[in-house]
Amino acid sequence: MPASHSHSADPDRPAVYQIRVKGHLDGLWQAWFEGLRITSEENGNTLLTGPVSDQAALHGLLRKVRDIGLPLLSVVRVEPE
Amino acid sequence: MPLTLLAAKLSLPPLRPKTVLRPHLIEQLNAGLPAGLTLISAPAGFGKTTLVRAWAAACKRPVAWLSLDEGDADLAGFLSYLVAALQTLDGHIGTGALGLLRAAQPQPPTESILTALLNDVTAFHNNFLVVLDDFHLIRAKPIDDALTYLVEHLPPQMHLVIATREDPHLPLARLRARGRLTELRAADLRFTPAEAADFLNQVMGLNLSPDDIAALEARTEGWIAGLQLAALSLHGRTDPARFIQAFTGSHRFVLDYLVDEVLERQPEPVRRFLLQTAILDQLSAPLCGAVAERDDGQAMLEVLERGNVFVAPLDDHRHWYRYHHLFAEVLQARVMAELPDLIPSLHRRASLWYAQNGLPAEAIRHALAAADFDLAAAQLELAWPHTDDRFHHTTWLAGVRALPAELVRARPVLSVWYAHALLATGDLEGAQARLAEAERWLESGDPVQKPAATQAATLVIVDERQLQTLPATIAIGRAYCAQALGDGPSTVQCARQALDLLPADDQVRRGQATALLGLAYWANGNLEAADRIFSDYTRQLRSAGNLPDAISTAFVVADIRMALGRLREAAGTLEQMLQNVVAQGGSVPPETADLYRGLGDLYREWGDLDAAARSLLSAQELGEHTGLFDWPHRLYVAQARLHQSQGDLEGALQLLDQAEGLFVRTPLPDVHPLAARRTRIWIAQGRLTEALAWARERGLSVDDTPNYLREFEHVTLARLLIAQHTSEPGAGSIREAIGLLERLLSAAEAGRRLGSVIKILVVLALAHEAAGSRPAALGTLERALMLAEPEGYVRIFVDEGPPMERLLHAAAARGTAPDYVQRLLAAFHPAAPAPTRPYAAQSTSAEPLSEREREVLHHIAEGLTNREIADRLYLSLYTVKAHARSIYAKLEANNRTQAVAKARELGILPRV
Repeated sequence: MPASHSHSADPDRPAVYQIRVKGHLDGLWQAWFEGLRITSEENGNTLLTGPVSDQAALHGLLRKVRDIGLPLLSVVRVEPE
Repeated sequence: MPLTLLAAKLSLPPLRPKTVLRPHLIEQLNAGLPAGLTLISAPAGFGKTTLVRAWAAACKRPVAWLSLDEGDADLAGFLSYLVAALQTLDGHIGTGALGLLRAAQPQPPTESILTALLNDVTAFHNNFLVVLDDFHLIRAKPIDDALTYLVEHLPPQMHLVIATREDPHLPLARLRARGRLTELRAADLRFTPAEAADFLNQVMGLNLSPDDIAALEARTEGWIAGLQLAALSLHGRTDPARFIQAFTGSHRFVLDYLVDEVLERQPEPVRRFLLQTAILDQLSAPLCGAVAERDDGQAMLEVLERGNVFVAPLDDHRHWYRYHHLFAEVLQARVMAELPDLIPSLHRRASLWYAQNGLPAEAIRHALAAADFDLAAAQLELAWPHTDDRFHHTTWLAGVRALPAELVRARPVLSVWYAHALLATGDLEGAQARLAEAERWLESGDPVQKPAATQAATLVIVDERQLQTLPATIAIGRAYCAQALGDGPSTVQCARQALDLLPADDQVRRGQATALLGLAYWANGNLEAADRIFSDYTRQLRSAGNLPDAISTAFVVADIRMALGRLREAAGTLEQMLQNVVAQGGSVPPETADLYRGLGDLYREWGDLDAAARSLLSAQELGEHTGLFDWPHRLYVAQARLHQSQGDLEGALQLLDQAEGLFVRTPLPDVHPLAARRTRIWIAQGRLTEALAWARERGLSVDDTPNYLREFEHVTLARLLIAQHTSEPGAGSIREAIGLLERLLSAAEAGRRLGSVIKILVVLALAHEAAGSRPAALGTLERALMLAEPEGYVRIFVDEGPPMERLLHAAAARGTAPDYVQRLLAAFHPAAPAPTRPYAAQSTSAEPLSEREREVLHHIAEGLTNREIADRLYLSLYTVKAHARSIYAKLEANNRTQAVAKARELGILPRV
């Protein structure tokens, strides 16, 4: 139903994502991860947070997670405030 | 690509002197050999390459190894590397597939390339492994599809090993269910506590307590890269326990923690070197020296290799190294964080080094990575004249397409190369647009239209010689387009312009321009001039050692000579070129298919339909996997004519339909338009309504002025009028048909096109006969016979069927050319088919041999070796061996002697 299709839910529009990985990641990875904000969580995990332009960009980021052998825990799309 | 770098991709990584032996994994791998496919799928740093390398050494099978990198993500590139890897086992594997890959655009279907390759593999005797390492680097849909095809058609002797960080797009569930897949995954690859102990204490020479080992094993979860880095950090420490405590107590990502530790322990110059060269896929001392701007590249690499972490040698000569991908990623992240502004200049320096060292593909890749489009454009411009097997037109085109359009437009030389690349794909419109842009640039007196002065200066320096001759190169492109679009006057004008502009010593381009001129003469009916030009050009190409192009021009010469009615000279041209192919030895150029095609057509005309069929079959076998993109059309047309001569009109129509779909616009003049061929068959079938619709659509009239390019259509129109008159006297204008044919005849005589003259005389004789004037018909036929006899024409008469047969009987009664006419009359009623051979009658279970297998069998019986048979039949040795095996299987024989004896017994070979 295109009429009721939520604009913000369009997967090919920019949206904020949170990628959670295992281990505390150094801040120096920020440029590598296209500027995502890197925050450590108390339980030893790391959140990569930031706007991702579309699905292709998201997959590109996940590939980078893969390439450095970072265990991936979750990927969450955050509704923009 | 210099041999060293290619060799590095194809050579097995050197074995490490000390590694952890993993007998349980090797055992699992050995047990999986019957499955056909082994997948080693795990994240970075799990020792995949090391394990496969160890297995390769242990499994006693020959190994074809291919280390992939991101630059190989194009299908053509991937397949040529795959062939190159297989050729490390045997240089003959994949020559056909390579021919296909080398072919002009568009690429032939991937299946035909893979089939050609797999056929060669099937003929290989030993079982072997093919390893595709780092397969995740080349994820692309066409490559996934190719791999799926490969896996589903895997010959039993080939075992495929894929090492990757992510599962490939293969039907894994189905393969697992069928037991056709063995997998090792992260859980299998982790070091067990015992292996960790072995690694840390034996391989890395530490002396750690069981508790320390257990702690490290737990912290890294058996991740081999983590353990290796930890070992390096521990090396030379007096208090390992404290380091281990700090490490295990930290939440930091293992890699961050340990790489910091390792980097901190490097002297500053080494650390800097690492960061500066992290962008490189392969490392050599000179390349690293250029990128890091220092002259101790080799010393640095050796320090790093001795340090044993960051680099792995790619060859035994220690010329090429690479960083372990995992470390390269970490280093790159650090460069981005610490020296972000430096990255473009690092790429730029790498690009320049590669360019200076004759590696255009890498040079262009780094220039694009530097986002230095001017540099990329300059390198693309320089690279075009040297595009070859390893640097494909597709790669080149992809590079040009990655550039901003206005930048290409501002570079006339590049625009013109772009146009020529598009011409090869048949995109005439795209090519013309690029040529027009280049012309505008050249003509523009307005400096504002030109790029900034500095860039223009770079451009001129880049390829000054090409810029000077650019108007000539544009003119050649224009002539090509004009000729392909059937605009003869423009072709001549542009080709002459090119010749005026080109220096006398530019043989190659003068040859191209002259050839286009020759094609224009041909299209214009000036066949003698065209014949001279192409005969000269063929000689020139042959003496320059360019056999493939010489073959292509030879068949043009043969086609022209057939139109000139010099059948024997045409055959001589083709046969002589075949002898040249044999004499040069080595692999048979795919263009050879056209020689057989031409000979097939000649044999058909001479009435030897069996020889014609054999020749066309040879053409098909040679040509079907070559991807000569305009060739299938010509073959189907030749087959259609043969079917027509055999009386199979429906089959001929179907072949013409197939041919129509494969028509590609090239500069070869379309002197026998396919629609007119089809109409002739309709006329023979009595489908006159359809034929009339064709004539209307083509706007043909009996009053048209004769013109060579329309001669075939006009003769077809005359045939239509004759058929109309015959089926319903008075309906067609038979007088006008005769008038048209007489004018066509005068034009053909004036142009000294004997082939046309004979054909027109034959139809004119039939027209007179239909009009009821037998004396005129016989007089005309007599002229045709006089001209045709010396060249041995048969089908030109016989294909006309009963009306011609009646006329020939009348001619025989008058004593015209008695021997020749008798021969022709006999050809109307070929001898009844040979009695069924005992072999075919009695062998209910045995499969009959194919035409080709019979041929091979005959040569086997003559005592020829496989190599000799291959040379004799212009086949690859592998194809001959495959035929021989198939013959043995069909005859249930185990060797040559048995096969020959069995064949004699069955009557396939004459009994002795």
